Amino acid sequence: MKRVGGLAVRVVPGLIGLGLGLALLLRGDDRTFHLRGPLWVWVANAGLLVSLVLVAVLRERRVRIEHAAITAEAVRATREEADARARAEHRTFVSRLDHELKNPVMAIRTAAGVMRTGEVDAQLVGVVDSQSARIAMLVADLRKLADLETVTIATAPVALEPLIDDVVAVMRDEIRTRGLPPCTIEVQLPHIPWSVPDVAGDADLLFLAVHNLLSNAVKYSGPGGSIIVRAMEGSGGVTLEIADTGQGIPADEAESVWAELQRGSNARGLPGSGLGLPLVRTIVERHGGRVQLLSREGRGTSVRMWLPFGSSSSAQPPVSTMELQIVAPASTPTS
Amino acid sequence: MLLLVDDEEVITSTLSRFFAKAGFEVVVAADGAQGLAAVDAYRPDVVVTDVRMPVMDGREMVRQMRARGAWTPVVLLTQLGESADRATAIDEGADDYVNKPCDPQELLSRVRALLRRQVVGRQPLTTVTELVSDGLRVNRITREVTLDGREVTLTPRAWLLLDHLITRPGELHTREDLLTAVWGFDFPTPTRSVDARVSELRRALREYAVKIETVPGVGYRFSGDVRVGAP
Repeated sequence: MKRVGGLAVRVVPGLIGLGLGLALLLRGDDRTFHLRGPLWVWVANAGLLVSLVLVAVLRERRVRIEHAAITAEAVRATREEADARARAEHRTFVSRLDHELKNPVMAIRTAAGVMRTGEVDAQLVGVVDSQSARIAMLVADLRKLADLETVTIATAPVALEPLIDDVVAVMRDEIRTRGLPPCTIEVQLPHIPWSVPDVAGDADLLFLAVHNLLSNAVKYSGPGGSIIVRAMEGSGGVTLEIADTGQGIPADEAESVWAELQRGSNARGLPGSGLGLPLVRTIVERHGGRVQLLSREGRGTSVRMWLPFGSSSSAQPPVSTMELQIVAPASTPTS
Repeated sequence: MLLLVDDEEVITSTLSRFFAKAGFEVVVAADGAQGLAAVDAYRPDVVVTDVRMPVMDGREMVRQMRARGAWTPVVLLTQLGESADRATAIDEGADDYVNKPCDPQELLSRVRALLRRQVVGRQPLTTVTELVSDGLRVNRITREVTLDGREVTLTPRAWLLLDHLITRPGELHTREDLLTAVWGFDFPTPTRSVDARVSELRRALREYAVKIETVPGVGYRFSGDVRVGAP
C-alpha cells in the first residue's frame, strides 16, 4: 500500500507536466521560452539537482532496510509468541491430565492398600475394575485423537442430508434405549432453491463429529430441551449448525472447551471426558474445515462447523453473491 | 499352549495368570529373540506379543517367524500411532491387533477366535498374499481386486472391509467389530457407517455381492469357499 502511494507521488508531477505540454501543443501554442544565465548558475543548479536525486535514492534505501528489519522482528515475535502459546497449552494439558488421572489412581491405590491387609471384597474389586476402566477409556480416547491427526482422510463427496438424518435417527434411538434425556430434535435443511451440496470427506468421521455434537446438545439440554440441526450453503462450503436450549457455557470458555480434557466449569456434574469437542475439531480441521462455538449460559449453545464442498459440487456453476445466513443462538425456540 | 511376549514383567505376570485361569498353558518370553526361541522350543498354538521391546521388537519377531514358515497365529498388542492405519498388516504377518491397554476379556475372545479359525499346520488366510473365491480374486499386497479377470476399484475403507471379511470366511462379525477392524478404534454408533460401507462394497462386487451375507440382527459374514491364490 505504502509503496504504491509513494510511486504515485513520484509519477504525478511528471504526468501533469506531460499532460499540460500536450494540451499546449494541441492548442497550437507556439510561444517560445528562452532561458539564459551565467555558467556558475548552471553548474550550481546541476550540483544541487544531483544532490537531491542522491538524497532521495539513499533515503529510499534506508527505508527499505528499516522495513526489512521490522518485518524480521515481527516474524521473530510471532514465532516466539507461538512457542510461548504451545508451551502454555502443553502445561495446561499436563495439568488437566493430572486432574483426570489423580482420582482414579488414588482410588485404585487405596483399594490395593485395603486389600493388602487381607480384606478383599466385591466393593474393593469393583473400585479397581471401574477406575482402571476409566483410565483405559481416557487413554483410548487420547489415542483416537492422536490417530485422527495422522489418519488418511478420504475426499469422497459426502451427502449431508442422509448423514444428518442418520445421526438424528441414531440419537433418537439412544434417547429411547440408553436413558438419555428426552429432547425434541428438529432438522432444518434448505431445499429451495436447491438442497445443501455435498462436502468432501470421510462419511464415517463426519458422522462421528455430528454425532458427538448432537449427543452433547442432548446431554446438556436435559429433559424437554429443544435441539435444531441446520445446514446452510456458503461460499466454498457448507455450514452445519447444531443449536440447543441447554445450560450453555460461560462466555469466556467458548474457546477453551475445544482443547483436550477441558470441560465447561458448569459441566462438572455430568459425565464426559473433555475429549468430545477436541475430537470434533480435529475431524473438521482434518477435512479443511473450521469450528465455532457460541454460547450463553442458561440460554443455550450453537456449535457450527464449516466444511468445504466436495469435488462434484465445486464442479457446479458458481453461485453468485452468497451471504452466510446464521441465526443467533438466543433466537432458537425454547420449549 | 499360549506364548506371551512382553518386556513388562507386570503385564506378563498378570496376563499369564489370567490366561491360565481361562484354561491355557502359558509360556512367557521377555523380548522378540526369546519369543522366537520359545516358538521353536514349545511350538505354541497362539502367540500374544507386545510391539515395542528391547533386543527384537514384536514386528520383527513375527516377520522372522513367518520367514521360517511358522504359521502360529499371532496377536499384536499395538500402541499409539499404530492402530490408525492397518495397511501394513499383511506385510507383517500378524493375524490380529488389539490396542494396549485393552480389556483382558476382549483379548481372550480374540485369541479364542483365532484358534477357532486356525487349521493346524496350514498358513492362515490372514498371512497369504492372494485369495480367491470363485471368480473373485484379491491381492492383499497390491490391493488389486478382480471379478472374473476384470479389475474393480474400491475405496480404501471398502478395501479394508473386504480384506477383513475374506480372510475370515464363514465367521460372523458384528458391526462394532467391523468398524473397529476398518478404523483401528471404536465408534460409538457403528451400525449405519458399516451398512453404508457394506453396500458400497456390494455394489463394487456386482454378481459376487451375495458373498457378503447379512446376518439379520447381528452383522455380516463372508460366505463361500476361499482358497489361497498365492501364498
